[in-house]
Amino acid sequence: MNDRNRELRPFVPQPDDDMIVCRCEEITKGEIRRAVHDGMFTLTEIRRYLRTGMGLCQGQTCTKLVKGIVSRELGVRPNELGPATGRAPMRPIEMKVLAKDKEETK
Amino acid sequence: MMKRYDMIVVGAGPAGLSAAIEAAKKGMHVVVYDENAKPGGQLFKQIHKFFGSKEHKAKIRGFHIGEELLAEAAELGVEVVLNAIVIGIFPEKEVTVKVEDHVIHVKGDTILIATGASENMVTFPGWTLPGVIGAGAAQTMMNLHGTLPGKRVLMLGSGNVGLVVSFQLMQAGCEVVAVADAASRVGGYGVHAAKVARCGVPFYLSHTIISADGEDCVTGVTIGEVDKNWQIIPGTEKHFDVDTICLAVGLSPMSKLCDMAGCAMEDNPAKAGFVPTVNEYGETSVPGIYAAGDVSGIEEASSAMIEGRIAGIAAAARLGFISEETCKEEAAKQEAALEGLRQGMFAPGMRGKQITETEEGVEISQNLLKHGFVAEEEIERFPGVTHSAGVHPVIECTQNIPCNPCQDACPKHCIRIGSNITALPSIDPEKKCTGCGMCVASCSGQAIFLVNEDCGDGTAEVTLPYEFLPLPQKGDKGVALNRKGEKVCAAEVVHVRSAKAFDHTNLLTMKVPKEYAMKARFFREEETA
Amino acid sequence: MNAEVIIVGGGIIGCAAAYNLAKNGVSVLVLEGSENIGNGGSTRNGGGVRQSGRDPRELPLVMYSIEHIWPQLSDMLDTNVEYYQEGNLRLGSTPQHQKILTGLADSAAAHGVDVRMITGDEARRINPYLSEAVTCASWCPTDGHANPLMATMGYYKMARRLGAHFISGEKVVELRKIKGAARQVVTASGNVYEGDKIILAAGYESRFIASTVGIDVPMQQVLLETLVTEAVGPMFWQMLGTADADFYGHQTEHGSFVFGLNSGLEPYAKPGKPLSSSIAASAACRGIMHYFPDLANIKVVRTWAGWMDACADHVPVISKVEEVPGLILACGFTGHGFGISPAVGLVLSQLAMEQETAVDLSALRYDRFQ
Repeated sequence: MNDRNRELRPFVPQPDDDMIVCRCEEITKGEIRRAVHDGMFTLTEIRRYLRTGMGLCQGQTCTKLVKGIVSRELGVRPNELGPATGRAPMRPIEMKVLAKDKEETK
Repeated sequence: MMKRYDMIVVGAGPAGLSAAIEAAKKGMHVVVYDENAKPGGQLFKQIHKFFGSKEHKAKIRGFHIGEELLAEAAELGVEVVLNAIVIGIFPEKEVTVKVEDHVIHVKGDTILIATGASENMVTFPGWTLPGVIGAGAAQTMMNLHGTLPGKRVLMLGSGNVGLVVSFQLMQAGCEVVAVADAASRVGGYGVHAAKVARCGVPFYLSHTIISADGEDCVTGVTIGEVDKNWQIIPGTEKHFDVDTICLAVGLSPMSKLCDMAGCAMEDNPAKAGFVPTVNEYGETSVPGIYAAGDVSGIEEASSAMIEGRIAGIAAAARLGFISEETCKEEAAKQEAALEGLRQGMFAPGMRGKQITETEEGVEISQNLLKHGFVAEEEIERFPGVTHSAGVHPVIECTQNIPCNPCQDACPKHCIRIGSNITALPSIDPEKKCTGCGMCVASCSGQAIFLVNEDCGDGTAEVTLPYEFLPLPQKGDKGVALNRKGEKVCAAEVVHVRSAKAFDHTNLLTMKVPKEYAMKARFFREEETA
Repeated sequence: MNAEVIIVGGGIIGCAAAYNLAKNGVSVLVLEGSENIGNGGSTRNGGGVRQSGRDPRELPLVMYSIEHIWPQLSDMLDTNVEYYQEGNLRLGSTPQHQKILTGLADSAAAHGVDVRMITGDEARRINPYLSEAVTCASWCPTDGHANPLMATMGYYKMARRLGAHFISGEKVVELRKIKGAARQVVTASGNVYEGDKIILAAGYESRFIASTVGIDVPMQQVLLETLVTEAVGPMFWQMLGTADADFYGHQTEHGSFVFGLNSGLEPYAKPGKPLSSSIAASAACRGIMHYFPDLANIKVVRTWAGWMDACADHVPVISKVEEVPGLILACGFTGHGFGISPAVGLVLSQLAMEQETAVDLSALRYDRFQ
């Protein structure tokens, strides 16, 4: 996994490569598979390169799907891929709301 | 000064509320935040009766359990704040929460993360079309918002969620055209499958969705059989005209908040995803931050409640509200209750194992696993199925699941399970059934029938649990369906009993020709024979 | 494992150096300490490609990058790095701001950068979304921005395609001299790699690694925080900053806004994993809405934090180390390494190949602190 020159099976187009996997950012299965062949081996790298899981739902829907595709492409188990970091805010929040932060005082 | 609580609970579901109750009982100042407008998490969607024993609130419907928890929390002074989105957990156990149009900062000496789970999706061409929804979403639409998700539905997934929601879809008035599952065996409780199957829903195991059809929304679905490499076998395609495809393909812990809080995490397939590592009290690697319920591993609401209680007790001990000894004692009691739930064929440790016989040594119904119902030639071998003169219970409970309300329900003690909660119920031939029907109504799996195999006039009477509206009336004529949901004979309703003690499980008694006494298991009105 | 050049650090500097070396047929091995390529400031910064506000010692690197590399980089890397050269507005609303901005503009102009002071109204003509609160601004029309994630991953992708070897999760703990020259790189897992040249581009970690061969670069770790919003339709393309430096950022090609934050408490962040604070994003939102009221309803979807390697005199060390032959340092970028990274990658490859560098690096030598 850590050796980025790891041999992968050759990239063969698949009939459902144009199927959208990350709905928020409209990233397809083919783009994800291609990214793996371009060296994006971890979920974090895929996110940085393609924006999967970086939209409004922050990966709640697609993280497992992306993991499945990447792990099949790499020939590893999905849980070997490492986590996708959880970051605030847990839900999208308008700037004007975030801007109004008051300490709850007794 | 920042407001500080003894315990901040994130999520007002079964785990969060139970923890808050337990902590508040010990004198802790507790606040519960939930992003939804209604508290209760998934409980308020659960209109079916729960399994388990008394201590697990068995045979009580989920939403009633939710109401009980809320009332108890309120009584104990727990602050439950709704429409409150926890934005993040920061160092020093500082929590920021969106409330109305602003953000508040609060601190907790302990924090319980009980954020639950989200639904998994599967991809197939057309999966992003409107009309493809999670089964949980369908349940929310029906049971919380009073909206039908569609008219004709295909359910993908035969786990408990898929089965329970299929049944609820029919209760709400939808037609369920099929339950499909890529696995080769029904994943959920057999009794849940059986109550769906006898309504006429076909089960397609080893089948998955090939595509959802439609331009702007779902107008149909094509499924096909998969081989052992999960590839579609050509020629096995089946098309259904549907407007809704429900996906019940598992849940994933919603654990991002734990990760953000700095808890050590693990990707654990046995817990269905990315979860915080916790000790026996649910405490994460960050001292004073606990996790309970689905967020720390997918299980049932019943287990979530106990995990929550254990975390509440542990937090109380951590902050000196109770002694270590009391904590150990009380936690041990809860652990025992949790252990009780984690028994039987569906226990977490049994996942993936092929079971061929019950604990009693009875061969498992293969038909139930492949088609969702026990075949006629299989049913007789189970201890709940006996024959005697006059009315008597027939218990079509064929798998070892942790559930025993039927044993207490019978005032005449006809039904025995014993101390092992997962044992199959059996009939005591010495005790005389009066036909009161308490067992029928108490069975969360709707698996108990009262049968009088020979009424003396060539007919038999079958009493079955009935949870559909409109309720048939005495004298209504219709057809009896067998376990597979096929019409087998004409049937006439001889009475319908509804009692407060039955909690909305109506007892419908139908008269059928006596040769159908052990075949007829459901009544359908509209198609007059 | 051996290579002609071993690069310690798989950030944009390491990846860009690897790309330039691999393109010249040099065998390269890149060792990244974390599990992910581009894990430090490379993928956590605000994406500025600025000349304005930059220390004169760094100006040749950024000007070279803007003139020769950034406009071609997407083609070079077969990756859309989303480079936009649409100018930089640094905004002010008080006389004090006017003074700060004028000072910055004058200093840049003295070094040949086109930075001028403009009025609030002139600024609003450039960016109609600015509020009336803006009374002055500095304007550098040749500045711009790019996407740090795409640029970093693009350099990585292309370097790898050209044959550079990358290993992640391989934390370097020691350099060893062999017969007077830096040759060996030892990792926490006990592996030893050997190369003719070693480029040390491991951010703040470089300090501890360099010290194993008796070299110190005076720098400290300072937190930077960033937020990103949901995507909306295109509004403006300029890079933005403020006289108070309380926020900076831009709208990306994707439609989201990326803003760097500054609450003032960043230098005091606890060491360890970089953590977002509970207040910085809120403070930044107030600042952003003061100047851009139209952004009030846009949703923030994510915040993150990262460490920068803040050098004692706020500019990096990009230098051969003559007393440790074979060692080349590239660290201490102080939070503004992204805009110059294309030129830095180039000059590092030139240093490693013993060629004359495209830009004079004498002001960035390692021994300037002595």
